[in-house]
Amino acid sequence: MRKIAVTGIGIVAPSGIGKRQFWANIKAGRSFIKPITRFDAKDYSSHIAGQIDDLDAYTHVSERLLKKMDAFSHMALIASEMSLQDAGLDIQKEDPNLVGIFLGNAIGGWLYAETELRDLYLEGRSGVSPYMASAWFPAAPQGQVSIYYGIKGFSKTVVSDRASSLMALGYASKTLGKDKLNLILAGGMEAPVTPYALLCCNTYGCLSKNNDNPQSAYRPFDKKRDGCVIGEGAGIVTLENIERAKARKANIQAVISGYGTTCDAKDRINPATDGKELARAIQMALDDAKVSPEKIDYISLDGMACDDWDLGEVSAIKQVFGAKAKTLPTSCPKSMFGNLLGASGAVDMITTILSMEHNLVPPTINLDEPANNGLNYIKKEAKEHKINKALVISRGRGGINSALVVEKE
Amino acid sequence: MDNVGAGLVPARYEAEEEMEVKDKIRETLINLLKLKPNEVRDDMKLCDGIGVDSTEMVEFVIVLEKVFGVKLSPKEITKFCSVNEIEKTIQSKLVAAARV
Repeated sequence: MRKIAVTGIGIVAPSGIGKRQFWANIKAGRSFIKPITRFDAKDYSSHIAGQIDDLDAYTHVSERLLKKMDAFSHMALIASEMSLQDAGLDIQKEDPNLVGIFLGNAIGGWLYAETELRDLYLEGRSGVSPYMASAWFPAAPQGQVSIYYGIKGFSKTVVSDRASSLMALGYASKTLGKDKLNLILAGGMEAPVTPYALLCCNTYGCLSKNNDNPQSAYRPFDKKRDGCVIGEGAGIVTLENIERAKARKANIQAVISGYGTTCDAKDRINPATDGKELARAIQMALDDAKVSPEKIDYISLDGMACDDWDLGEVSAIKQVFGAKAKTLPTSCPKSMFGNLLGASGAVDMITTILSMEHNLVPPTINLDEPANNGLNYIKKEAKEHKINKALVISRGRGGINSALVVEKE
Repeated sequence: MDNVGAGLVPARYEAEEEMEVKDKIRETLINLLKLKPNEVRDDMKLCDGIGVDSTEMVEFVIVLEKVFGVKLSPKEITKFCSVNEIEKTIQSKLVAAARV
């Protein structure tokens, strides 16, 4: 595929709002997993998360608009603004018909939905906010970003469980490669720290119950793993064709060069443990980028911290990378701030771009003793390592596999 | 003359507030849309002047119905162009209710 430039980064995460704060905490290996305080969650078997409490301090959105949207739209608006500022773009000077929005989300705006559904049953129809209709659904952030900036071009919201935002980045890159648009805001957002969303995540059964030790609870690939920990946030990048980015002398922070996606076709929830279809998605992304496995310098892992998920992921990497798998640095930085579900892939790509910029592999924290041998896990502390090309893996329930190749320009 | 019908105003309305109807309407609008008091004048057009969109109008009407204890039809809602016009509609409803 044609290489697509990443010229702006917007990040809203438990580890930090804005890429400088975020990266400072990531490279230091700090955990931001804490007991949930937004509501009384102590009766949930897993009641820890990467929660964001200071969103209002960063907002540029009016109170009048804010009351009409769920937190996930708010996060998307903050991340979009940061991304455009980082890209040095004045969106008002762009042709609105040639600007698009490609975002990924898994569960929608449940904090808004839960509150209004409660009011529906307690007070009847008149108790429900009229904004409910436009606030809760997964494409709501796309609409809010579109309205806020007057963006009118071809846009799309991808709902594909935890793989949503990496797939959105893939589709956005393919769209730009066909010269259909000049510019795309792409990434994802998720706000699952709500009573009902947390309940659903608990019911699914892949969350850590290590509530007494929140900072060491999320331990991908470790022998003592017992599931992931959810987190909330948004990661949105500005994408442009390289020619346009160079013509306006933009800071090209990385390029997206390949994308692949497959389905396991095996189980409605769990992945195939043989990793064959994930391996095919990875190979597809590498072929798309015209990059051989030997040229990859780092892999950002999906890292669900569940037996079957981790096993399949390690198996897939070994199938594609062969002997190199033992030496190729890999890590799962989301062990520090939680799994942002539908936003996780975009945030992982942003973390990877920052890792490339600083030639530093961020660690998988809490990985003491690998349960799945055969990979070069960067544990505990960040490690200096030159990264020119990297692979990002993101997967979803029902056997959804996606992989993206990012490179230095 | 000023007190005509005053004794017939429903108890709910009478007890709720001493504020004039127009003041209540204005205050409701300001609170709902998070506006500053100086951003709303009684003759301002809700759509063009204040930028009230269709969903905001729905919310506004729901709250007005609760505040004044009256029912407002869609036809009446479309006439809600300014605080002055809303006040006329609601006043007439309150007077009609008082006569029942």
